[in-house]
Amino acid sequence: MQTETTPAQADVSELDLVKQCQAGNSEAFDQLVTRYRTRVFAMIYNMVHNEQDAWDLAQDSFVKAWKSIGRFRGKSSFYTWIYRIVMNVTIDWLRKRQIKAGGAEFDDSIQLKEIEPASKTVPKADPLPHQRMEQGEIRARIDQAIEQLSPEHRAVILMKEIEEMQYHEIAESLGCSIGTVMSRLFYARKKLQNTLRDVYENV
Amino acid sequence: MKTFEEKWTAWLDGQLSGRELVEFESSLPDLAAAEAEKRDAQKLGLFLKKELGAQALSNEDFFSHQLRERIAGETEESHGSGGRSSWWTVPRLVWSGATALALFFICAVAIMRQHQPGEQSEYLTQILKSQVDPVANPNATVSIFEIKNDNKVTVLWTEGLQTLPADYAAK
Repeated sequence: MQTETTPAQADVSELDLVKQCQAGNSEAFDQLVTRYRTRVFAMIYNMVHNEQDAWDLAQDSFVKAWKSIGRFRGKSSFYTWIYRIVMNVTIDWLRKRQIKAGGAEFDDSIQLKEIEPASKTVPKADPLPHQRMEQGEIRARIDQAIEQLSPEHRAVILMKEIEEMQYHEIAESLGCSIGTVMSRLFYARKKLQNTLRDVYENV
Repeated sequence: MKTFEEKWTAWLDGQLSGRELVEFESSLPDLAAAEAEKRDAQKLGLFLKKELGAQALSNEDFFSHQLRERIAGETEESHGSGGRSSWWTVPRLVWSGATALALFFICAVAIMRQHQPGEQSEYLTQILKSQVDPVANPNATVSIFEIKNDNKVTVLWTEGLQTLPADYAAK
């Protein structure tokens, strides 16, 4: 798994850094943050689609990790462990936002195929919208499609396709069974295929 | 027993092998359509990886700086609150205990004084004894109780008197 490391940092093993953190060394924790901050931020950003919210949630996640690092026993990798914190923080936040919004979001019963492709991102007069999409528009289409998924479905598809995590790592991060991960992946893929097929087949 | 969704996902990600793979593929009604679906899903995966994988954290150093500040602040706060609580705990226990003991003794003494039985007045008892003739009133008993509270009540209890002394005037 790719991390941000300088040659000097790479000499120090992750487990050593964790042990130093557990002894109260905040500089060691700073090194762990440097290794994972970009990936953690990107993961959260892909879940919430807002830079400021992603920044705040990433900060909250690392603060929680620092506070609870004494309970890390090394049974899983540090990355899987911190991902569990990240997922808890982010999914909680999304759920609270859903409640504030009246609960209409993340309704898995919504059939994404009913959504008009490019309905908000492309001028109506454009005869071939997918051929004219700029990078920002593609990103907007993806964000729109992902926002229609429940937080758990978002998490599994992003962890699998972007982070290339194994089923058992995703299961550990989300606190569920491998079967649940595979089942969620099945439905998340189906929905995204239905929604984004016209985009990824023409890019 | 894996569900169809689980088997499909495992097949799509190349996680099925051997007999499991053969059994699953033979169970599919249209293998060619399934293969096309598989290619489509893989294309989706590559597309998502390409489009979403490059999200960068702007101002990384400030992110770490802000995080360090937060952690330092929270650590200091927890130590501070911890110090205050330890400072409060021991003196509070001592003072609470001492105050409770003092209040207990004050209340106990006050209650004991209030509930003491009325004492017989030695002075009046002597006078009454002198006024009662033991020959004329052999069974007479005279008791005086004084309740020394705000009402200053004095109770004279006589029993067995056959005659009152002529020169006695109860006040």
